[in-house]
Amino acid sequence: MAYLLIFLVCFPFAAAFVVYGIGRFHKAARDYAAAAAGLVEFAAMLIAVCPVYKMFVEGNMPQALRRAVIPGVCGMGLSFTLDGFRSIYGVIAAFMWLATLLFSREYFKHHRNRNRYYLFNLMTLGALLGVFFAADLFTAFVFFEIMSFTSYVWVAQEENKAALRAAETYLAVAVIGGLAMLLGLFFLYHELGTLDMAQLLSAASSCKNKASLYLAGALIFFGYAAKAGAFPLHIWLPKAHPVAPAPASALLSGILTKSGIFGIIAVSTNLFLWDERWGLFVLAIGVATMALGAVLAVFSVDIKRTLACSSMSQIGFILVGIGMQGILGEENALAVRGTLLHMVNHSLFKLILFLVAGTVYMNVHKLDLNAVRGFGRKKKLLHAVFLSGALGIGGIPLFSGYISKTLLHEGIVEGIAQAGGNVLWFLKVVEWLFLISGGMTIAYMTKLYVALFWEKNSDSRIQQSYDGQKTYWSPVSGAPVVFAAGLVALFGLLPQIFMNRIADFGGGFFGLADYAGSVSYFSLENLKGAAISMAIGAVIYAGIRRFLMKETKAGKEYVMALPKWLDLEQLLYRPLLLRILPFLGALACRILDSLVDFVIVLLRKSVYRDRKIPHELPEGNTLTHVLGKIFDGARRGKRALLRQEIPENEATYEHRFAVQWEKFMETNTIIGRSLSFGLLLFYVGLVFTLLYLLICS
Amino acid sequence: MNAICLLLVVLIPPLAGAVVALAPWRRRTHWMIFLEFAVVVNSVLVWLLLFNRPADTLTLIHFTGELSIAFRLDGLGTVFAGLVSFLWPFATLYAFEYMTKEKHERVFFFFYTLTYGVTLAIALSDNILTMYCFYEMLTLATVPLVMHTLSREAVLASRKYLYYSIGGAAFAFIGMIFIITYGDTTEFLLGGVLNMVKVGENRNVLQFIYFLTFLGFGVKAAVCPFNSWLPQAGVAPTPVTALLHAVAVVKSGAFAILRVTYYSFGTDFLRGSFAQSAVMAIVMFTIVYGCSMAVKETHLKRRLAFSTISNLSYILFGAVLMTPLGLVGALSHMVFHALMKICSFFCAGAIIHQTERIYVHQLDGLAKKMPKIFGIFTVSALALMGVPGLCGFISKFNLASAAIESGNLLSYFGIGCLLISALLTAIYMLSIVVRAYFPAEGFREETLEGITDPNWMMLVPLIVFVILIVGFGVFSAPLVTLFKDIAGGLF
Repeated sequence: MAYLLIFLVCFPFAAAFVVYGIGRFHKAARDYAAAAAGLVEFAAMLIAVCPVYKMFVEGNMPQALRRAVIPGVCGMGLSFTLDGFRSIYGVIAAFMWLATLLFSREYFKHHRNRNRYYLFNLMTLGALLGVFFAADLFTAFVFFEIMSFTSYVWVAQEENKAALRAAETYLAVAVIGGLAMLLGLFFLYHELGTLDMAQLLSAASSCKNKASLYLAGALIFFGYAAKAGAFPLHIWLPKAHPVAPAPASALLSGILTKSGIFGIIAVSTNLFLWDERWGLFVLAIGVATMALGAVLAVFSVDIKRTLACSSMSQIGFILVGIGMQGILGEENALAVRGTLLHMVNHSLFKLILFLVAGTVYMNVHKLDLNAVRGFGRKKKLLHAVFLSGALGIGGIPLFSGYISKTLLHEGIVEGIAQAGGNVLWFLKVVEWLFLISGGMTIAYMTKLYVALFWEKNSDSRIQQSYDGQKTYWSPVSGAPVVFAAGLVALFGLLPQIFMNRIADFGGGFFGLADYAGSVSYFSLENLKGAAISMAIGAVIYAGIRRFLMKETKAGKEYVMALPKWLDLEQLLYRPLLLRILPFLGALACRILDSLVDFVIVLLRKSVYRDRKIPHELPEGNTLTHVLGKIFDGARRGKRALLRQEIPENEATYEHRFAVQWEKFMETNTIIGRSLSFGLLLFYVGLVFTLLYLLICS
Repeated sequence: MNAICLLLVVLIPPLAGAVVALAPWRRRTHWMIFLEFAVVVNSVLVWLLLFNRPADTLTLIHFTGELSIAFRLDGLGTVFAGLVSFLWPFATLYAFEYMTKEKHERVFFFFYTLTYGVTLAIALSDNILTMYCFYEMLTLATVPLVMHTLSREAVLASRKYLYYSIGGAAFAFIGMIFIITYGDTTEFLLGGVLNMVKVGENRNVLQFIYFLTFLGFGVKAAVCPFNSWLPQAGVAPTPVTALLHAVAVVKSGAFAILRVTYYSFGTDFLRGSFAQSAVMAIVMFTIVYGCSMAVKETHLKRRLAFSTISNLSYILFGAVLMTPLGLVGALSHMVFHALMKICSFFCAGAIIHQTERIYVHQLDGLAKKMPKIFGIFTVSALALMGVPGLCGFISKFNLASAAIESGNLLSYFGIGCLLISALLTAIYMLSIVVRAYFPAEGFREETLEGITDPNWMMLVPLIVFVILIVGFGVFSAPLVTLFKDIAGGLF
């Protein structure tokens, strides 16, 4: 069992290089090898889950099972474990990888750099499982970082301008998030002395210094929230998901964001279990993410961008659930189950929806809603599959999304019943935002659905070619998508059998001891919530048709009504990080950089001046120079005062005095050397002697 | 082993270098093989010495009283000597290929090998006087290497290097005199040698002297504001910049600081003093400063030089924490940074050698033509950033945990500096990597016609380094245990 966990994490890394090696020689073989690797991983994952599930069936709540520890590696050693929740996510990850690998073969048929894609794709799988299986926060961090870097290549895969820019943003957010997380881990380790998830709870409850615990928690939250796409770190998400290849987008949206959520849950349930303040903090961020994502999705006119914004919004729903867990305290079973089930559901929805978008792109190489309008007409299977995903994510009864959203809603209602004071008002606002966001979800999914499957393309020739297209995906690519769509419907139809069991199986991770109660999902009260959302959705969709469509010659067209400049990244982050901070830093650095050189120059100009070289003064001496300068200055001043013109070729006083001095010196020399001068001096001497004799005697 | 071997390893390199420079060689390959052989033999000898350490001290000259020139191998010296002697043969191999385009090769290799001996002598020094002498000699031996191309910039750079180094050594000299005066002995002993009876009331003076000594040796370790010689010295041929200015010279500075901090002044004497706060502030500033200058710089080698400035201060940060764990962090970053930086420098050198492109913006799309070099460069870049699974992470992790453990208030800011610097490192290293793999729009592949990966002499060292970077990143326990033993005085 322990070895199996290590195998699950390491195998994709090894397989990645093998697949890459095969790809150097044979392309088709490479595709099969990659799919085979996915299959092996999925099978191994199922085998690993078996003992955990057996425990569950025997009536034990699956706690963290035996650990696999690799001591000494990467500084602190790595440790893995498997419990109910981890099993669920391991299986989902392996399944999604298998589905996308199968889909990739057809999708990438005419793409370049496929080898690179497979290499990093499989490596990311290993890293992702490393995160999900991590038994301590350090291991999670190590694999989280690896995952950030390997998934970066997915975003940059297409190598066009938009992709490179999105990849840049993705990398920046990932690196900054990773660093914040590392800082948080350091603080946490210092405060508690352990990063082991099994010991964190007891260590945190006995910790006196709550403030630094909150700080550490917030920093770690920052790191994970950056990957989950929570507001205000969501900036990369609406850019990166659309430009990545569709299978990669499905993974980014469906499961990579969940690794961020996993981390947030790990912090919330191990450090701040049933902590109201922490719950409110997460709830606030969750609500902002949920509402903002939904608004962005309503406005978007690109299939994949809509889906990406939708992911952000759904992540917000999940965060709301996590926040409610903290607020509800020990009686948080509804919120826990809602969170867990919505995570599972959302993974399935996004797998379906992104792969449908990928199918569209694979056939028409366009994603703009106006261009692909009418593609789905007369394609019954695609229609059914998309409808299942759309109804699911919209939370329509009889589909699985309804169950999880109902649970989340029930959680909020329960919170309202318990709370008082300011929190009560806040929760009431949250409830309404929750319902409105649900309505927006329905609206934007309807927008996509109607555009793809009901409306006709504005160009009738294109519509004809769309209608004529009978085969749009190969059975191998389509099968997993159809399977996932079936699951969504099945889960929604029989929630007591499937959904409840999943929730029971995974609940242990959230600190949920045991849950005996049962929710009647299809009671009138619960259906009312869905009905309100649907009504809001209908109104918003009417608004979309009215305000977000423009009449053109060819008929009505969808327009992007949000101005381009309204972008947090362009408005705030980029100017701040690329202009203002570097300027300040560079200024300080410049000054300090030239400090020593400045001192040296100063010394050379003052104390250590070089001795004047003789010919530096070509004529005259210091006296004539100074005098000449003064006279020159005086003359200039006089002229300036009287506005006289400066005659040409006029000699300066400095020069004149120098010449005079030279003449004087020359004359002196001549005189000094002449005989008559000698005689003169001799006689002067004689005269003085005579005078002396006369006076003194 | 006999202690005389300590002298032998110091003498073999200069002698071999002299033979290369003076003997009448017929063909280039002959002296190349001879020199590589001599360097390898010397390195093997050093490693034999490391594993069979001679217990006694080898005194060469005894001046008077405590003053002597003597060699001894202790824990700290083991690490530095091991590091230098491991890297030198590879660097020499690389230099053979790189220097084909330069003149006066044999003179160059004389000084190059001479430096090997001198650096080893610093590592093996028994007392502060010996270390000081060889420290000065290192400056003199490396000036000709910096000046090698004899271009105007090279002459200016070497002049600057000389002034800075000699000036720094003057400060260090003051420290040496005080150690001789106030210490029990001049030898290096873990925990310090200051005699507290002699120090008496003069604690503050001595702490100030430590500050001066730190700055003095810090010149070679390029602490701000004495750093500007290092980027300028980048005009020297790449083997010089890589080995000397990323490994031997700058690490000698860091090594000397470790020596005076832990082995002469003693951490108990310094911990908590104003001198510690002062040097810590300088070091933390340099960490951020070096990175931000690197972000700004567009010249590839100079960018790496600024990165070196910042990374050296990581080592010094560990040193000035003045705790055993700090020493562990410092030593691990000393070793790992040497690996990462020599790797990235050699990649830069290979790019310059193959394409004669020296600016970052000229590297668009080169990764497609030089996949091996850029693959290796990417690994070293990620390692420098501190990505988990590569060796840079281990040393940064050790440093940060040492900082937290030390409980010093300033060291919390130090962790912040480490993280900011990691972010900046990501910017300046990844911008190169991203550019090379994903060229900007309008890039034309025809302009790169005929560019290939270099031959095996350049690649072999790089591959060895990259294996070590990954290897130590995944499993570093034995090395870190060794450092812990050294810091605890057990080794």
